Amino acid sequence: MIITEKLIAKLEKKSDELRKVILETCIKAKTGHVTSSVSCIDILIALFHGGIMNFDSENPQWKGRDRFILSKAQASPALYTVLADVGYFDKKELEKFAQKDGKFGVHLQMSVPGAEITAGSLGHGFGIATGLALSAKLNRELNMTFALLGDGECYEGVIWETAMFASHHNLNNLVAIIDRNFLCVTDFTENLIAEEPMKDKWESFGWRVLRIDGHSFKEILESMKDIRSRKSNKPLVIIADTVKGSGIDSICYQPLWHAIAPQGQEAEKARNCLERRRNND
Amino acid sequence: MTNKIIPQRDAFWDKILEKARADKNVIVISADMGAPSLDVIRKELPSQFINVGIAEQNAIIIGAGLALTGKKVFVYAIAPFITIRCLEQIRVECGIMNIPMTIVGVGVGFGYEDSGPTHHLLEDIAMMRCLPNMTIHTMTDSNMSSSFGEIAYESNSPNYIRVYRQTLPDIYEKNHDFRKGLSVLKKSKDYYIVSCGSMTHTAIEVSEKLAKNKINIGVIDAYTIPINQKLFLDTIKGVKKIITMEENFLPGGLGSTICEILSDNEISIPVKRLGLPLEKAYCYEYGGRDIIRAFYGLDNNNMERKIKEFIKK
Repeated sequence: MIITEKLIAKLEKKSDELRKVILETCIKAKTGHVTSSVSCIDILIALFHGGIMNFDSENPQWKGRDRFILSKAQASPALYTVLADVGYFDKKELEKFAQKDGKFGVHLQMSVPGAEITAGSLGHGFGIATGLALSAKLNRELNMTFALLGDGECYEGVIWETAMFASHHNLNNLVAIIDRNFLCVTDFTENLIAEEPMKDKWESFGWRVLRIDGHSFKEILESMKDIRSRKSNKPLVIIADTVKGSGIDSICYQPLWHAIAPQGQEAEKARNCLERRRNND
Repeated sequence: MTNKIIPQRDAFWDKILEKARADKNVIVISADMGAPSLDVIRKELPSQFINVGIAEQNAIIIGAGLALTGKKVFVYAIAPFITIRCLEQIRVECGIMNIPMTIVGVGVGFGYEDSGPTHHLLEDIAMMRCLPNMTIHTMTDSNMSSSFGEIAYESNSPNYIRVYRQTLPDIYEKNHDFRKGLSVLKKSKDYYIVSCGSMTHTAIEVSEKLAKNKINIGVIDAYTIPINQKLFLDTIKGVKKIITMEENFLPGGLGSTICEILSDNEISIPVKRLGLPLEKAYCYEYGGRDIIRAFYGLDNNNMERKIKEFIKK
């Protein structure tokens, strides 16, 4: 993968475009985790549009594909938007998100091409991803497995059972990315039960840890540019510092703006914020 | 030379060892539980044996990931911990996603009799049978346990194998066909006891005792839930009364299953459920299974008396 200014400019453009799609999708459905979705959208864009992941949207079950597991499945609007954008299914399906005759709802559904699993209960996807990575190792297959975790999800005890397991088994074909936006539902993580120093925690569980700006395409791409030729046996965790609601200033970084789609004046404000973000680029 | 009965656990894992040798996709995940055959798998086929440590939730989700790629996954632990401890993982991975994997729990009922209520498993039938896609198999003897190793290996859906810790006498022949889901061990035109696992042995004993009093009670070993309704209804057609016997709390257990089938098919046959009453809650008695069963009023004499009273009514 070669990181060029042109590639980054292309991804930045996608970032504006898909944020808008996520917002409109949720406004229309009157539901969906808007802030959680835009928090991780740049990571998803980098994975699917930045040349990191190998996949074939025409053949979702292609055996050699890299697996992407959205463990923080409340961000399904972000994944569905990206999957539609890269051609897994018709973008018009997004207009029916969580509505009558729609094919998918607020959380992740394995029947959707590219979704891989059904998820919504936290702490499951990471373990499943680890099982997938272990299977690839056992079969001597070269595909990678990527799992996107929420920082709130890291309160689930089973995350740490899995973390211990993955490093013990030297799963260097596994990449966990933590959407570190510092917010849960009702409060900031550091007010609830402090999660920092997160880097130390993962290192002590035997992982190679990188900490990056999760909205910088340059940093996201850099963190995974040598992902298939790492010399370390350790699984890699990328703690991506993000902003919950990133790009939509009217609802970002605020407790309780969780699982809500803005409506009425709030929706207009949110649209205007995205418009301003685009114009400032 | 007499044929020594091997424990259900070993009969099951011996069969899986045989499968694992022939098929590298067979993977056993243990939450720090062993067995002679598992020791062989661990040494001979190390890539097919994974000990996750005492981490049952992780065992289920790692197993689910492996099974999604076509591995034949068997997850093994002490029964209460590989079921109720990780029920939500089982619900999502097996109930919702229908990922084919086999959960093997050892020590169902009062299997760990002297370990107290944390190790007794008295709620699992109710909890597991309300999950779509899940099939529950209760092992009555070691020949059955070996056969279910084969059945689970061939299955394309989730299974839960309930294994007794104690060695129970063999009542089935080695080549018995268990795919029908239930077996009629003794026929009757008037009365049937429906049971599974260790209670089936008790049911046979009680029915033999009652036969001496000229009461002919049949015995149905209902080892697979959901129950084969057609075979069950054909078997009990025209009988006067049914007794169910189980080492589970009564709500949602085997007796409930039988009542539901009768009700759903609009069949009016009186049913007496013998099981663990909720009001007796958990048992802190020690000294063996018989003593614990007596605590719940399920000792043989008591059950025999209750059945007689029920039949006379």
